[in-house]
Amino acid sequence: MRMGHLLRRAGFGANEEEMDRFLAMGEEATVEYLIEYETVDDSALEKRLTGLDLDLEKLRDLQRWSLLRMIYTQRPLQEKMVLFWHGLLTSAFKKVGKGPYMLNQDQLFRRQALGEYDVLLKAISRDSAMLIWLDSRVNNKKAPNENFARELMELFSMGIGPYTETDVRESARAFTGWGLKKKEFLFRANQHDYGTKTFLGRTGEYSGDDIVDIIMEHPATANFVCRRLFTFFVHDGPDAATLASLVWTFNDTRYSVKAVMRRILTSLEFYSSKAYRAKIKSPAEFVAGTVRMLGIETDGRPLNALTDRMGQILFSPFDVSGWPGGAAWINSSTLLQRLNFANKIATARGRSFKFDPLQVAQDHGFNTTAAAVNHFISLLLDGQAPSQDRQILLDYAQGLDGLSASGNPSATVDEKLRSLVYLVMSSPDFQLA
Amino acid sequence: MLISRRNFLKSSVALVPAYAFLPSVFRRAVASSILESPTGSAAFPDRTLVVVQMAGGNDGLNTLVPYSDNRYYDHRPNVAIPGGDLLHLNSEVGLHPAMSKLKELWDEGVLAIVEGVGYQNQSYSHFESMHIWQTGGRSDTLNNGWLGRYFDTLDRSQDQGFRGMAVGRILPPECSTPHAPIPVVESVALYQLHSDPRYPDAAQIRADSLLKLYSASPRETPYAVLLDNTVEAAYKSSQALQEADKAYRSAVEYPSTSLGKGLRLLSEAIIGDLGIRVGHVTIGGFDTHANQPKDHDNLLRTVSEALYAFYQDLKAHGKDRNVVIMTWSEFGRRVKSNDSDGTDHGSAAPLFILGTPVAGGLYGERPDLGYLYNDNLNFTTDFRTVYATVLEDWLGASSEAILGQKRLDTLPILSAP
Repeated sequence: MRMGHLLRRAGFGANEEEMDRFLAMGEEATVEYLIEYETVDDSALEKRLTGLDLDLEKLRDLQRWSLLRMIYTQRPLQEKMVLFWHGLLTSAFKKVGKGPYMLNQDQLFRRQALGEYDVLLKAISRDSAMLIWLDSRVNNKKAPNENFARELMELFSMGIGPYTETDVRESARAFTGWGLKKKEFLFRANQHDYGTKTFLGRTGEYSGDDIVDIIMEHPATANFVCRRLFTFFVHDGPDAATLASLVWTFNDTRYSVKAVMRRILTSLEFYSSKAYRAKIKSPAEFVAGTVRMLGIETDGRPLNALTDRMGQILFSPFDVSGWPGGAAWINSSTLLQRLNFANKIATARGRSFKFDPLQVAQDHGFNTTAAAVNHFISLLLDGQAPSQDRQILLDYAQGLDGLSASGNPSATVDEKLRSLVYLVMSSPDFQLA
Repeated sequence: MLISRRNFLKSSVALVPAYAFLPSVFRRAVASSILESPTGSAAFPDRTLVVVQMAGGNDGLNTLVPYSDNRYYDHRPNVAIPGGDLLHLNSEVGLHPAMSKLKELWDEGVLAIVEGVGYQNQSYSHFESMHIWQTGGRSDTLNNGWLGRYFDTLDRSQDQGFRGMAVGRILPPECSTPHAPIPVVESVALYQLHSDPRYPDAAQIRADSLLKLYSASPRETPYAVLLDNTVEAAYKSSQALQEADKAYRSAVEYPSTSLGKGLRLLSEAIIGDLGIRVGHVTIGGFDTHANQPKDHDNLLRTVSEALYAFYQDLKAHGKDRNVVIMTWSEFGRRVKSNDSDGTDHGSAAPLFILGTPVAGGLYGERPDLGYLYNDNLNFTTDFRTVYATVLEDWLGASSEAILGQKRLDTLPILSAP
């Protein structure tokens, strides 16, 4: 149960073979494996993706590429961090447009997945997608455009409160002239305001990088970043002491996200009952995680559109604040899409997208309904299901006894076995991370 | 800053409704305590309010343009619209040229425009300002959305899972309530529960087992209430909507924009008598920091054409007397434009109220372009006055209870019997 939790939160779940391997390694070594991902060979993933001939300047292909990474990577924490950064330092295809922009931003998140936060902020303020998304490229000294400066403080670093409207206007001046040429960052000196700015109580001839440095020194920033990491990976209500210890680590290591993540993943809070199943899986986690846990082979083609319908259009969140997450993932529409996704997987009989639970049953030599129920509860729900749920599943699937012996399954066996997996994936607990 | 950082953190978490964290053992108690206190606003069960959210901060000054005021042209030379291009409503103001369809409705006398709508101490953050509009104020005691609190006043013993309907993929925070969740629908085709295509006979018993998994075991996990309530609402409302869809034929061609499709969906639910008291649809993209002239033109054209089609469709089905539409946006934009042909976050702006029951015309007071603070307009009408107007004079609900403050004077837009 602890390992299932760790791999779900710090990754996208695990199939049987992976789970056995990590259990043998033990928790401590698994955390190190996840964090020190640069030592892990992920060339099989890159090879698989290259083979698909995707056009990553197009939204659909980029989404498929991204979901396939979540499903097949050997570096699950790196991909999970990319998803985290994408939801925090958001840009969206719908404004940024076709081109290398969103891919490059995603690759920046991958390179800086567990890096220092000031480095990431300085890089994102020069990132071409961001320069378009928050209008920095047209921020000129004559009449500055405040879009990036405001969101840098409100959404990327301190949160609302510690700064004034004057701080917004002054810092916008510091970012004037940060432009884009031939799809790359270009500093346009003639559009930069070299004058004196007063920002968060300090005065100087600040550039954009100076603004980031000042923001990093403000105590609200460490607090904001650590809280965002904790609530994404653990639960929504960190207590003051926990938050303070993460903030200490963050400042002590000069803004190392890796150090904070190591603390989080080895903390008591992370494994506490308050954290277990305390989060709603995001659509990307739900879709990629399900395919990964069941070990389904796919080129990702049906998956991106299904993730969209559940309310998460990867590379194109609704607005600058990314996805609100939590309860906002669940409403009548998105829940129907989750249930229908479970149905699509459970009844996947096609050649290119196939799930064969009878093969699973025969591989394991199940001979009773109870064995089949146990297997899927163990694989998909960490073996943790309330007895009422277990009984509902047993009642539905009864009559599977001796199933693995039968060469050609009867319609009843086919229906019941697939419906059993459907019901497990549709259950309330499976919606939770 | 009026809102402390701590409160904002709290309020941003409040987008996740508090009830979502209750274990399901408490759920029935929550539901019944609310059911026992209906405030009797079951008046006018055949009336619907449709709320259109223009997200991102609509530039009010370029929506309803004060073309006779030269200061308008002085402040924003690169985005101002020449007086000759506007759709004149009188000798002082005109609608943006992209809104010719709304101008037709103005000429019919069914479009009201409330000017200068905003609130004290404007927040320039999209999210804080949206939160203020969505909950109905800055108060910590206002949990859930203002429309959610309206839903709470309704007797839900007879409804089909539809008291409201939001178009899209995300429940708008103004509709959140601890009651059975308001259905969120993206399209009729997607809004149904699928079964194993090979075994249609097993569909019903499988669905029954599914519902049992949600209701059978009380769970201690957060979100248990939310999941339990939602699966029930989704199942019931999807069946009702599929039925309504079989009977519906739109009388007009809707524009193929997502707003057009969304309003068509609401029309379908209203014409199908699903019991929708409030419909909600969002159009985004109004955050026009750059290249505003072209983008804003598209946006306002989209709004104008979609609202027009919706109104004509309702009319053709004899439902136009039952529906009032209102628009809102979290703020207007800076009076002074920026150098990138756009406008930054601002304050007060006009909003639209449309429908056959509406007494068309201009309401409220036009903000004075000679009296700005930090290049922003001063608001003249509190947004809660508009809320009180639709609650009291259209839905027959007590605005006092819902908005949590002394009864506000309403605008005489819907007071005709």
